[in-house]
Amino acid sequence: MTRSLNRSSATGALLALPLLVFLIAAVAWPLASLAGHALSGPGWGAVRQVLAAGRYRTALVNSLGLSAAAAFCSVLLAVGPAWILARERFPGRDALRTAISLPLTFSGVLVGFLMVVLMGRIGVIPEILGVLTGRRIFEGAAYTVAGLFVAYLYFELPRAVMTLESAFRRFPRELDLAARTLGAGPLQRLLRVGLPLAAPALRSTLAVTFSASMGSFGVALILSRRFTVAPLEVYTEMTGYLNDEVAGALALMLAFSTMAVDRLLSMGKR
Amino acid sequence: MRKTILVLSLLALSSTLAALAADDKVVIQYDCIPNYANWGGVAALYKKVAGVTVPPDPKGSSVALAALEKEKDAPQADTAYYSGAIGFLAAEKGLHEPYKPKGWEKIPAALKDPAGRWWTVHTSAIAFVVNTKALGGAPVPRSWADLLKPVYKGKIAYDDPTWGGTSFTLVYGVNELFGGNDKNFKPGLEYLKKLDANVSSYPRESVYNGVLRGEIPIWINADGNGYKMKWVDNGPVEVVLPAEGTFTMPLVMGLVKGAPHKEEAKKYLDWLLTAPAQAEFARGYFLPVVAGSLPVEVASHVLPAKEYKRARALDLARMAAASDVLKKAWTEQIRGTGR
Repeated sequence: MTRSLNRSSATGALLALPLLVFLIAAVAWPLASLAGHALSGPGWGAVRQVLAAGRYRTALVNSLGLSAAAAFCSVLLAVGPAWILARERFPGRDALRTAISLPLTFSGVLVGFLMVVLMGRIGVIPEILGVLTGRRIFEGAAYTVAGLFVAYLYFELPRAVMTLESAFRRFPRELDLAARTLGAGPLQRLLRVGLPLAAPALRSTLAVTFSASMGSFGVALILSRRFTVAPLEVYTEMTGYLNDEVAGALALMLAFSTMAVDRLLSMGKR
Repeated sequence: MRKTILVLSLLALSSTLAALAADDKVVIQYDCIPNYANWGGVAALYKKVAGVTVPPDPKGSSVALAALEKEKDAPQADTAYYSGAIGFLAAEKGLHEPYKPKGWEKIPAALKDPAGRWWTVHTSAIAFVVNTKALGGAPVPRSWADLLKPVYKGKIAYDDPTWGGTSFTLVYGVNELFGGNDKNFKPGLEYLKKLDANVSSYPRESVYNGVLRGEIPIWINADGNGYKMKWVDNGPVEVVLPAEGTFTMPLVMGLVKGAPHKEEAKKYLDWLLTAPAQAEFARGYFLPVVAGSLPVEVASHVLPAKEYKRARALDLARMAAASDVLKKAWTEQIRGTGR
């Protein structure tokens, strides 16, 4: 027994080795180098610069706000479709699931261009509405904050649906049936059975969509006019000014704030 | 079955290695964008005449400079291509080593570094690239003053100057045109602030296709890009050199210090100043630096020389020195606080 346990843990270590090497090479080392750059100035000057009132802090606050809004709305909108995909059987379900997951394969830049094609100055939507109503509604909407938000929803919604669906599939149906047998009404069943069961899944879906939005770069690169987000500022500091210190500090703050929110969301999960 | 897969993958691997070994003649150029200044055509021609591959590279001037700076201790590139001031800055930072390619004497003195740390390969001028079909009935703008008129609201774009060297030239030049200098950016920024009311976006990626489609009716950029839209892509495009004046932009190169393929790079840089290479640039509507290499058909497509009399040259040293301050000021005052 002991021998086989030893062997299996040795196999486990061997199997974990590639992941370990990967984590060191692709996470720990770059993060350390980033921290090195960020903290290299006298008195952590770059970090202070980022946290002082101004463009960098605005970018961080914008990123947090936009990502939180996109995560919240995408989860809210995803609950229904995810429940149906997980629980109902109907023709074309697999095709629908594939269609919903399609946007996940698009890069941010592509989503940005899609928005321009739909709601740019000569976007499809203003063209059609112009013919129908005589007013070119949504002309140039792609370049507004609302346009940016819609683009974020576009790639976060499928992520939310997919994540929630797999959670909903694992729900034991018996609990719901038992509650019904014991005389609980629909609202009571939702509040006392459905929601407590779904809470961890909702929280982790919020975390997944929030993190993805925080790191998203391409959409804002194409669409943002004035409104800025943190990854965009990191890019500009690097390429426009060769400012490793501020770029590093900003990236570090971005990573920490994302991890902090994720941690908060996963608290009390068990 | 497993054996077959193994044999097949070994075969694939060895043929890839063999291809790489056979194709070992290569020159790495940072900022080698195929549809900018016809680099695609130039690289293809060089492959044909010399058998050397110059792979495409998507970096803009500023990004190329950033990459060279990062790789200073282990250079990966042999040469780089920039808009003038950025190349000047790269030379000042000691990233280039002096080299005077064959044909050096044919480059006008103002368009090269006496020490050979950078030189011009072709020039361009800042112009309004106008998609006439997308103007929605408004007349084609003829002057910087025209651009401020309310009829152009939401119809104008110019690249973010922290991204593109062309746009940095524009921002610096407009300031000089309106009476500013390398210490006083107020006149230029004041004009650009007024222009902001009509600007739809400050792109940080190539919007060449957006202009062609009409998403951006007026793009303030290099004249050559507009000519190419008109004559190569058959777009409804007109190139306008503004009445108050405009600026020329030399596009420069240099030999990277510690270039891994130095001898091949020198031969390549020599070749870029020969008549066939210069004519190939001209087919992308960037003006050859070597006089007399402009093909006749290209000459008939561009605006007459008297129009270009309004284009003035800018002092690259002053531009380079002002670059960070002006870019910062532009970001804060024009793009705004980020809200």
